[in-house]
Amino acid sequence: MIPRLWTYFLKRALSNILEQRFIQFISMGTITISFLLLGAFVLLVVNLNTWLMDWGQSLSMSVYLEDGISGKRKEEISEALKGIPGAELRGFISKEKAMEDLKEAFGAQAALLDGFKENPLPASFELLLLEKEFRNLAPDAVKDEIESLQGVEEVQYSEQWIERFEGFLYMIQAGGLIIGGLLCLAVLFITTNTIKLTIYARRDELEIYKLVGATDRFVKTPFLIEGAIQGFVGGATALAFLYGLYKLVSVKPLYASGFPVLKVVFLAPEIALSLIFLSLILGLIGGLIAVGRFFH
Amino acid sequence: MIQLFNVSKHFGQNVALAGIDLKIRKGEFVFITGPSGAGKTTLLRLIFGSQSPSDGAILISGINLNRIRRAKLDLMRRRIGFVFQDFKLLEERSVFQNVALALEVIGERPSIIRKKTRQVLRAVGLGGKETLFPRELSGGEQQRIAIARAIINEPIILLADEPTGSLDPDITQEIMLLFRTINLRGTTVVFATHSRELLRDTDQRTVLLKKGHVEQETPPPPEGRP
Repeated sequence: MIPRLWTYFLKRALSNILEQRFIQFISMGTITISFLLLGAFVLLVVNLNTWLMDWGQSLSMSVYLEDGISGKRKEEISEALKGIPGAELRGFISKEKAMEDLKEAFGAQAALLDGFKENPLPASFELLLLEKEFRNLAPDAVKDEIESLQGVEEVQYSEQWIERFEGFLYMIQAGGLIIGGLLCLAVLFITTNTIKLTIYARRDELEIYKLVGATDRFVKTPFLIEGAIQGFVGGATALAFLYGLYKLVSVKPLYASGFPVLKVVFLAPEIALSLIFLSLILGLIGGLIAVGRFFH
Repeated sequence: MIQLFNVSKHFGQNVALAGIDLKIRKGEFVFITGPSGAGKTTLLRLIFGSQSPSDGAILISGINLNRIRRAKLDLMRRRIGFVFQDFKLLEERSVFQNVALALEVIGERPSIIRKKTRQVLRAVGLGGKETLFPRELSGGEQQRIAIARAIINEPIILLADEPTGSLDPDITQEIMLLFRTINLRGTTVVFATHSRELLRDTDQRTVLLKKGHVEQETPPPPEGRP
């Protein structure tokens, strides 16, 4: 096709959009909302995945000690823990430090903890088993072995929680796929109908185009470009909104009880670009369906 | 140039044309006449290829329109001009833009579009009115825009469907003169009209249609004379 025709098509597509401003605004607005929901879902899944991967890198064990054990006994337990293959002793958390951490996590509600006459929290050792090691170990066996040590009250480890979280993540992903599919269908429906309206409004003009020898491709291409522009603008605006929302949310660190501070990440550039590309392609397909039906 | 072999066209139960045989030579000026509903417009649309015959074959310069691919047909239409009674102009575009449209759709260069559009507007008597809009012009001038658009690609055939139907007699004469001028330059003109006034003094070939049949036909002028 002659390159200057593409300039002409682009002008025609933009002119179509400007002449039907209100309908186009509604259409692009609806695409934006659809992609905002889709993008939010993808962002949620990406963040849940990131957190899961961070936690899943290692198996952390909290070895809680009985109250009032001697310093010597504590030292013996520490040595025993260091002797476990693949284990890394990350530190000791005293009763006082445990209370401090809890107060920090409670934030403004920390005063609630002042009601305790005695500190109910136990001192603990934090033990880390690296992934390559603990996958070959039976965590339950390690747990039993440590719990058999004198002075150890209880051992808790994170894998059970991670397994439950993985199940939850799969559900979110499956739900996201279904909702995403429905939102994509909605975008297709909106684009198709908006372009059909444009074509209908311009039917006399199109007839004249055909009378003077315009090819089908010449008549159809501006509407396909129009669809792609609608999709692109809708998708890009949605991502801009999503980024704004992300900036608002990510100012405050999120806490989840018993876990480190949750860091909220935004979509990676390739995912963001893929979403914009998807919106553009959906707009283009909407245009194709509309011109296909009309010219059929 | 234009050959119709036993051409029929039905719209459901209605027969618009039945068994039409017609040959129009290159450079001829032919009037297609008959009362409303005789099949004049249908005949022109079949020649233009915007409708397909129910039966029979139509050949334009030896090419069978039934066997031509759609894309080729679009290209072929660039060599066939069509003028309508209702002008079919784009109201929101200027005189210049309406005419230039026929060159834009074929991807012509902007400099060529400007040059040829100005030339053809001068040729139809609309020089200096390029920037006006159709609603600012008279019916006769609007028809001149339509004629300019139809001839700008130097068509080999010019089809006209009642082009003077909505014009007063003086303007009709001017438009007829324009068609004759175009014909004298070598373009085959097929002119549909139900006006007896127009046909009264003409010595051009006339085909009378009635209820989809050729009722009467005057002989074509001798070879070499349109």
